[in-house]
Amino acid sequence: MISRFLLLFCAVLMASAADPPSKTFPFPYTQEDLANGLRLVTIPTDSPNLVSVYIVVQTGSRNEVEAGKTGFAHLFEHMMFRGTDKYPPEKYEEILKRAGAASNADTSNDRTTFHTTFSKEDLPAILAMEADRFENLKYPLEAFKTETGAVLGEYNKNSANPGQKLEEVLVDTAFDRHTYKHTTMGFLKDVQDMPSQYDYSIKFFDRYYRPEYTTIIVTGDVDPKQARALVEKSFGDWKRGSYHADIPVEPKQQGPREAHVDWPSPTLPLLTIAYKGPAYSDTTKDTAALDAFATLVFGQNSELYQKLVVREQKLDSLSANSPSSVDPDLFSIRARLKHVEDLPAIREEILAAVKRFQDELVPADKLEAVKKRERYGFTMRLDNSESVAQTVAEYVALRRTPDTIDKLYAQYGSLTPEDLREMARKYLIESGRTIVSLTGAAPAGAAK
Amino acid sequence: MKWLILLQAVSLCVFAQSRSSQMRIVALPGNSPVVTLRLVFTTGGARDPEDKPGLARLTAEMLAGGGSKDLTYKEIVDALFPMAASVGSQVDLEMTTFSGATHVDNLDAYYKLFRAMLLEPGWREDDFKRLKDSALNSLRVGLRGNNDEELGKEVLLSELYRGTPYGHYTGGSVSGLQKITLDDVKQFYKQHYTQSNLILGIAGAYTPEFLERLKKDFGTLPAADSSPALAIHPPAIAHTRATIVEKNTRSVAYSFGFPIDVKRGDPDYPALLVMQSYFGQHRASGGRLYQRIREIRGINYGDYDYIEYFPRGGNLMEPPPNVARGSQAFQIWIRPAEPPQAAFTLRLAAFELNKLVKEGIPQEDFDRTKEFLSKFVNVLTKTKRAELAYAIDSMYYGIPNYNTYIKDALAKLTRDQVNAAIRKHLRTDRLQIVAVTDHAADLKRQIVGTGPSTIEYNSPKPAEILAEDKIVGAFDIGLRPDDVEIVPVEKIFD
Repeated sequence: MISRFLLLFCAVLMASAADPPSKTFPFPYTQEDLANGLRLVTIPTDSPNLVSVYIVVQTGSRNEVEAGKTGFAHLFEHMMFRGTDKYPPEKYEEILKRAGAASNADTSNDRTTFHTTFSKEDLPAILAMEADRFENLKYPLEAFKTETGAVLGEYNKNSANPGQKLEEVLVDTAFDRHTYKHTTMGFLKDVQDMPSQYDYSIKFFDRYYRPEYTTIIVTGDVDPKQARALVEKSFGDWKRGSYHADIPVEPKQQGPREAHVDWPSPTLPLLTIAYKGPAYSDTTKDTAALDAFATLVFGQNSELYQKLVVREQKLDSLSANSPSSVDPDLFSIRARLKHVEDLPAIREEILAAVKRFQDELVPADKLEAVKKRERYGFTMRLDNSESVAQTVAEYVALRRTPDTIDKLYAQYGSLTPEDLREMARKYLIESGRTIVSLTGAAPAGAAK
Repeated sequence: MKWLILLQAVSLCVFAQSRSSQMRIVALPGNSPVVTLRLVFTTGGARDPEDKPGLARLTAEMLAGGGSKDLTYKEIVDALFPMAASVGSQVDLEMTTFSGATHVDNLDAYYKLFRAMLLEPGWREDDFKRLKDSALNSLRVGLRGNNDEELGKEVLLSELYRGTPYGHYTGGSVSGLQKITLDDVKQFYKQHYTQSNLILGIAGAYTPEFLERLKKDFGTLPAADSSPALAIHPPAIAHTRATIVEKNTRSVAYSFGFPIDVKRGDPDYPALLVMQSYFGQHRASGGRLYQRIREIRGINYGDYDYIEYFPRGGNLMEPPPNVARGSQAFQIWIRPAEPPQAAFTLRLAAFELNKLVKEGIPQEDFDRTKEFLSKFVNVLTKTKRAELAYAIDSMYYGIPNYNTYIKDALAKLTRDQVNAAIRKHLRTDRLQIVAVTDHAADLKRQIVGTGPSTIEYNSPKPAEILAEDKIVGAFDIGLRPDDVEIVPVEKIFD
């Protein structure tokens, strides 16, 4: 194992003499499937004594298909900490504490991730405990209702931010049928109704917390053989499920949409212009091309950013996000303005930039710089066991294997200016567009 | 085996006092292809002129977010872009940090930019205008408008240190920022960006020649800062008082506490660290406050306590390094509660603090917390970046390597020492409380005196919890109506 590490270091250092490292994901890994469908990905990294375990369940707010149940995947992330017969919450806490563990969980539209970083000698204890809660979670009605209060508390702490509200309105306006219509946090009315959904919560666990939905990622100071044996022992008896969510297909949008949010307090105006984009793909250029487009046309060194943020200083911030979700999701451009009267002009400037690069080609040298940046940026992110696991978890949620990383970056490598123009013409079209603006109340004492 | 020896050798931290200047060096040579630079000036917001708070931060932002003498900001951004690199700044009261990382094959090109930005600033008016606007917006919108919790914490600290160089927000005030001129920024840079204030940190696969170059370049800074040493004496709190910030918001966020005479390196620091972790380890579910408020009663999203400054707690899972301070405060952070439960929640947190001071930490929790912390330090320093930053803080506080310091101290620590430190440094009277809410007058009426404040649950609770709720609801936090001040949000840091 030691010699493999050494080789890896040499490989990274040698490759770096010229261009960015040739293989984007620099770590050797093992990927194994248990008979019940559970997948294990083990990635030894140079993290003396530390191990990170990331358990990815391919269930998120995307799976919330029934009306009135938005926010449920996130609620369930909370419920997973409510214990089993063998490990009641106090026992669970004690084991985590004795392991010196940093532990938490998060939910997004496509996945729920449970993660723990701790000293390597505690790996058997942690895996045994994790297996038990994934197989035997059991909580009384009272604990369920109490936890819904914590979820409402989470909604509350986010609610002071107008950006959250804008996001809620954006996805609700842009989508008609697909579950990306609601945010991961869910609609407030559904969050408030959660205390009455105990029975549904049991059903949710039974459907989705199953080995075929789950991938365990172990990184750090770990021996793949040991990890495999421990996972087999702890998770081997976990029963495969049979449920497949019928996620509604979003019909093609037939025309531009708009919405506006009046924020009750003074704040800076926000403008988001979004388009229906593609689903994540590592076999076509769509995902990579739109991501490069977002950086080139709206990133910090784009002409538009330099004009509106740096020179004219009309914007406080400008950025674009390209979609990277299981199903087709939004490509969005976000701006924060300094003055409300600039809203119409800024909107036109952004639309003109989109239009321009549907006609013109982006300069080839700038595209090459983006490719370099993506590769360096990715490599530099992977500087400890936790960030390696976290990064891999994002891709595992999409394709269930780190292999997709190299495939995606190969698509990046092959991009041409023509590809970017083609994708802009294909996706950034008026009939698939949604524009949402948000303006705040006048400051107290200001002239009405 | 050879590789193991090599690793051990490179993991040794090199502390050195440069001969040619007074700057201090923290060097962590190693194999990592990512080279990390971290330059910390031991100066910051505590040096802001009284009428111009925010000057230290704006100065650092002019360097990290503006052009150099020869390059415009756009040219710098363009040059950094293909390297996926940047230069970041962080300003606290006593530390100003510039950090960056680059793949080793870009080190030369990256460093040329880094050096020019820090040593040959461009001082352009248009950069200044942009960054000043951004500082004003970050204060008005980012803090006052969008982040009730961070706002509460910053108001708490500025109240605790009122009248001292710590008694303002590092991000400034609206009127202070408006007053700052480009000349003020240049003057601040000249006076405080000196070799005597500099701790120069580097980690990764750099060469010895590169380190020499770094030392030589930064050896051109003025030698010493002529400012007198800071002496921070927080004013005494006569009796418990509250500041209620009134703004349009859904729920009620709290922070409360008082200054403590303990910082890293002091004899009672390890004992209070154990207390902090037991009572409310940041973003962990095992803390006493979290268990009693969130886990059992489902009141809010989390509840934690601190013995050191911890900014951006809503976003960070671990404490940000390089915000070291010569004076620290004990703080309790109660995340937003629904208004009908808000008064009860404050009484519950104060009740728990009272219990902690009276009863101390139970033996079993003491053992468990010690074990946790002695392993958790490895998690805190899991990256080279973090190791470097902690080493710089250790140099500031005059302690050995942080991990060694904590592990050694914990090995010797007894429960009696922790409980003695709790009794000595913590208290339940003379608190400063800060609340952020929509209905300030209502809240004021509910938190003064003995209430009683009540709570209703959406599910049955065990009899012992209901019995405790009765005691908690009538728990007097010692707040008198005259000691509650209601301040509209637009007056905060104005």
